[in-house]
Amino acid sequence: MKRIVLCFVLLSLLAVLLSFVTLVSGPVDVPWDALLSSQIFWELRLPRVVAALLSGVALSVAGLSLQTVFRNPLAGPFVLGISSGASFAVALSMLAGFSFGHFGTLGAAAAGSLAVTSLVLGISCRFRNNTVLLVAGLLIGYFIDACISLLISWSDAESLRVYVSWGMGSFGRLTCNGIGIFAVAVFVGLVLIGVSVRYLNGARLGDEFARGLGIRVPLYKKLVLLGASVLAASVTAFCGPVAFIGIAVPHLAYLMFRTSNHRVLLPASALCGAVIALLAGLFPTYPLNAVLSLVGVPVILWVLVRHSAKEEL
Amino acid sequence: MLLECRRLSFGYAKPLAKPLDFAVDGGQVVALLGENGSGKSTLLKTFAGMLLPLEGSLELDGQPVAAYGLRELARKVALVRMGLSLPDQMTVEEFVSLGRSPYAGVLDGRSAEDNRIVEESLKEMDLESFKGRAVAELSDGERSRVYLARALAQRVKLLLLDEPDAFMDIPRRKNLFVTLQRLSREKGMAVVLSTHWVGYAEKYADKILCFGKGSVVEAPAAEARKLGLLDWAEV
Repeated sequence: MKRIVLCFVLLSLLAVLLSFVTLVSGPVDVPWDALLSSQIFWELRLPRVVAALLSGVALSVAGLSLQTVFRNPLAGPFVLGISSGASFAVALSMLAGFSFGHFGTLGAAAAGSLAVTSLVLGISCRFRNNTVLLVAGLLIGYFIDACISLLISWSDAESLRVYVSWGMGSFGRLTCNGIGIFAVAVFVGLVLIGVSVRYLNGARLGDEFARGLGIRVPLYKKLVLLGASVLAASVTAFCGPVAFIGIAVPHLAYLMFRTSNHRVLLPASALCGAVIALLAGLFPTYPLNAVLSLVGVPVILWVLVRHSAKEEL
Repeated sequence: MLLECRRLSFGYAKPLAKPLDFAVDGGQVVALLGENGSGKSTLLKTFAGMLLPLEGSLELDGQPVAAYGLRELARKVALVRMGLSLPDQMTVEEFVSLGRSPYAGVLDGRSAEDNRIVEESLKEMDLESFKGRAVAELSDGERSRVYLARALAQRVKLLLLDEPDAFMDIPRRKNLFVTLQRLSREKGMAVVLSTHWVGYAEKYADKILCFGKGSVVEAPAAEARKLGLLDWAEV
């Protein structure tokens, strides 16, 4: 218990510190006394902090819940094709020239991720085999990538430029106007997953076990998948396809908090995800996905190696 | 009677045995004996409400099992199955605490009373010194006790166990039967378990249900051998 409280305190302090650093630093120097009255602070840096926080929280919680539902440590919005579904729908919207403001992009991303989630859920009900599910998710991802390639080959240079830039992922794309919608979408996703915590705790041992605990498995499984889809879709819509966090951060949370209780793991993953995203957001001039992997992989490898070394002792 | 079935046909698509008439009351231990694949696990799943009866009636505490809500049913009956695939990080205490899930609210919190019951269940199965260890790291025999402790924490009236002694050495196996008999008497709980250990079933169970040749035959445990129901198990 002491360890859990200590980890929460440390991660919270780290998140506050990184948020502060992101707000006060950037490619353009702003004097301290003019910071709060500058446009750069309110229109660039604040939305960037919010985007990093929301994306980190959303993707790590989505990743954790998918890994639990499918009982597969490699499951995540990307591996199961859910983020690809969102990307495809957004690509369709961008490359086909449709734009309906934030609702349009978010709606397209949500529809795409929900379509893939339904497909993955259907496959998981049919086969109940994690390997089949994983392969199916990867195949869906490849198929979607192929479709996106076709859309790219048919699109004009300007649409292509916009789409390629979107595909690199960025926390700098969120505007003040979008913060509210992004936050609401993430909140909805978190609520859907949060009310399913009893199911998530039982589901780690299988759906039949969870049912034996009096849990309505089909209902909560749908709620979790819906929640994960909304979370993945909202990040994809506002920040582009952001890899790595969804699959890796839950493992970081397991290793740090050493518990399987989702009452702890969900907020723990959310905090870890926020910290990793804020860390990656400190380098706004580089492609986000590249920075996330360059910053995140050593961090997680270090934790893994340190954990394994302790186990060996 | 706590559990009562009349003309019960059980199975997945086709009945696995002739219709069964059977009843068990609190404080009794019933052993299910028979070859692998004869239907013992299927009957336990039917008693647990995980499979619907193909025909006939099945009542728990005077109400059809199918009429119970899932949560209400989980407070009355627990099915313990061995060979669960366990997450690496789950500790014994966390696993046993899952037994309180049917009593938890939407956020799956645990009250002081829940924690007390978990502690008591750990003590009951002599697991206090194990509670911080990962379940996945325990031996098969130790893990069986953890599974049983979880079911005890569920505070049910009917405890169903599917070969709980499968991975136990002889002293642990004997201890399990002694414990089950004691728990059923002390807590007024009905225990129905499947096992291949005929000798222990005869000594510690009150009734035996013998599965074979497409039928299930019931007999008092002390008389089953005399009635020839255990001839198939003679050495």
